[in-house]
Amino acid sequence: MRVYQTLLAAGLSVLALVLANGAAQAQKQAVEQEDYLREPMPAGFQVVASEIEGPVFADASGKTLYKWPLRGLRNGDVGDRKNAPSNCTDEVYKENSGLMSPYPPGLGLPDVATRRSCVALWPPVMAGANAKSVGKWTVIARRDGAKQWAYDGYPLYTSDLDQKPGDVLGGTYRKVRGDYPGVREPIGPHANIPPAFTVMEVGSGRLLVNSSGYSVYSWDGDAAGKSNCNADCLKSWSPVLAAETSQPQGEWTIVQRSPGVLQWAFRKKPLYTYIADTRPKSLTGSDEAGWHNVYTQQAPAAPREFTQQDTHAGIVLADAHGKTIYTYACGDDALDQQACDHPASPQEYRLSICGGNDAARCLKTFPLVPAAKNAVSPSRAWTTIDIDPLTGRFAKPEQAGSMHVWAYRGRPVYTLADEKPGDVDGDAWGEFYGARNGYRAFWIRDDFYANAG
Amino acid sequence: MRTHFSMMAAAAALIFGVSAHAEGVTNRTIGYVLTNKSWATYQTPDGKAECPKGFNDGPREQFKALFPESGKKRTLAETQFAREADVWFPSETEPLGADGKPLPYIDVSGKTALGMNLDGKVGPNDFTSPEGEPGIDNQLYRAVGCATGFRGPEGAYTFFQNDYMQRYIFNRILIEITDVDDLVNDNDVTVTTYRGLNPLLTSANGKDFIPGGTQRADERWGKRYIHSFKGKIVNGVLTTEPGVTKIPYADTFDTNVDLTLMQARFKLKLTPTSAEGLIGTYVDLKEWHHHFAVNWTSHHASYGQLSVPSITRAMARLADAYPDPATGKNTAISAALAMKFSQAYIVHTDPKKKAVASAQKKNQVADAQ
Repeated sequence: MRVYQTLLAAGLSVLALVLANGAAQAQKQAVEQEDYLREPMPAGFQVVASEIEGPVFADASGKTLYKWPLRGLRNGDVGDRKNAPSNCTDEVYKENSGLMSPYPPGLGLPDVATRRSCVALWPPVMAGANAKSVGKWTVIARRDGAKQWAYDGYPLYTSDLDQKPGDVLGGTYRKVRGDYPGVREPIGPHANIPPAFTVMEVGSGRLLVNSSGYSVYSWDGDAAGKSNCNADCLKSWSPVLAAETSQPQGEWTIVQRSPGVLQWAFRKKPLYTYIADTRPKSLTGSDEAGWHNVYTQQAPAAPREFTQQDTHAGIVLADAHGKTIYTYACGDDALDQQACDHPASPQEYRLSICGGNDAARCLKTFPLVPAAKNAVSPSRAWTTIDIDPLTGRFAKPEQAGSMHVWAYRGRPVYTLADEKPGDVDGDAWGEFYGARNGYRAFWIRDDFYANAG
Repeated sequence: MRTHFSMMAAAAALIFGVSAHAEGVTNRTIGYVLTNKSWATYQTPDGKAECPKGFNDGPREQFKALFPESGKKRTLAETQFAREADVWFPSETEPLGADGKPLPYIDVSGKTALGMNLDGKVGPNDFTSPEGEPGIDNQLYRAVGCATGFRGPEGAYTFFQNDYMQRYIFNRILIEITDVDDLVNDNDVTVTTYRGLNPLLTSANGKDFIPGGTQRADERWGKRYIHSFKGKIVNGVLTTEPGVTKIPYADTFDTNVDLTLMQARFKLKLTPTSAEGLIGTYVDLKEWHHHFAVNWTSHHASYGQLSVPSITRAMARLADAYPDPATGKNTAISAALAMKFSQAYIVHTDPKKKAVASAQKKNQVADAQ
């Protein structure tokens, strides 16, 4: 019965994707979507598959749900407290809050004439007058008395950036370390994995790790549901053992290595840890021939002409010429912590650090990554957009001087002028190491830090 | 432990025919791992000898000087964006404060500095070492020596660059001395730099570094850090010929910064368990600015009164080497790094050192260019 339920669930995941993306897109991505645990939900909510974040909760129209958890900044907190009314209001802020060091509060924001309120950008998910709590889904009163859905105690929102089911453009589970803003995070169901495992979102996908955070691996030398790793193999690889009381679940099965010695298998492949791994989320074991890290779902495919380059710390995504790809992150310092990393948001923050407030110098320093007019992306995460290079704003396709460029999660990506393959000098360029207003290299693997996740 | 170590060394000497002076040397090789580094800063207790005019302002003080509280409403564009623009694209001159005068900056005006005579000359701007050696080239010290963050050991930058170097593997720097017949006097040794891949070995308190640890040389990602120098040991002091090397120099969370040391030469007092001394070198102004701006953002620079744009301007003003053929302006500045190492056993992942040889050859070609 359990197996049947899981198969049904997996089928539903794929079906959701089909509905969301169309048959052709689903054909590309029906492979290895993350399965999840079913839980009771109020009517009108659903689970939608997404390329980067895995399964996420969505409203009836398929819009991804987000929370805004409390976050401590340098000089105070922002966001919502658990089981408390939303702090996302219709107030339009005109000044910064001074919650980030070293700049004081009371300075006029750059978009004061056009700025929208928090609720305009993050519409609260309203609950009907008769809405009843279901499981982790509860109802919280807003300050004006209106009812808002909450999950695990946090008020819920959608993002005005998301247009289609499966879009998760308003936030991500992945965070850079350090002083990032008070960001919104998508919410989703728990992955359907045994308690001894966890899924971690990293640059190469949703990585399966053990309960200590160490990567698990599979081996080409094994047969489906059978381990062939014995003798010398066991000197480097430790089978991930299952308890005698463990039960198969979903895509998880149990392999008997020898009488009484049980080993976990995922998608029929027995799992191991690598004894040479010295840090969590390591990809080092995959350097060994025939051995692979295990993902519930791989990261979405990058544009076909892109490359991967070795650096002094790991591997980055690079353009066709081998130049490192950079993403840009930005959050303003108003109390509602609006993002400033999107072509629809103010560009003044970026221009200050990429060109010294000179748009032409910015474009020269961090060039956009051009895409062919007829370029086709192999994934939804990567798209082509038209940008006015001197304003950084969206442009109409035939607008004079506009550029057709590659974008990741709806935001343009960049290279750094004069770099050679393997250089990452643009990494951490900006305020707070690129976490607050700056550029970060597109790390796929980082053997020294947590830049890849 | 020490006795055991010595006995092992003695046994190795017997086996490999090494001189009795080569304690700690195995297979004519001894390795060390860097445990402490700082930009060499000569300082007196009250700072009055080197900085009689006092110490420099940092971002917060400069912000107040530029934008004093007067009830006037200001915008981010006028303030924060202008200051950040100056961090990443420093102007040539200091901005004018509210009093109409350029923001002040204080250079070191003392005569004494740590460092080396890099150009073999004694010039009017050179320092004299504490031991009395004239001709010391260390204009970086003149630029940053009156910024409290660079002073040691309490200076914020000096403290944190050691803290992060010790905490993260990225900055692990090794030197391996080969062809060693005698650790006290040997006129022909080779020094090779690597990045290591292991934590530092400490005593139980976690603070005192102890010798005898193992370090795997990073011969995959760290090929760019592999460089060799010819050197000699005289009375226990290693000196090398100048050469180019690149070291990882990331001083904070998750940053990935390198620094190229040009005409770098070592001067290290060696013992079987430690090495301590200086690297004298020139550093490229643009590269140094980039490494500093990335490592030390405006918030962090506020601790220790370090103004990235003002320090960058001071360095450009005091630069003393590598003139640009077109403009004649110097593009590099003399400097010295103070370093402490603990002895470590360096393990090469490729026993035949193919990767090392390949990288060395590649780096030598690059250096020659």
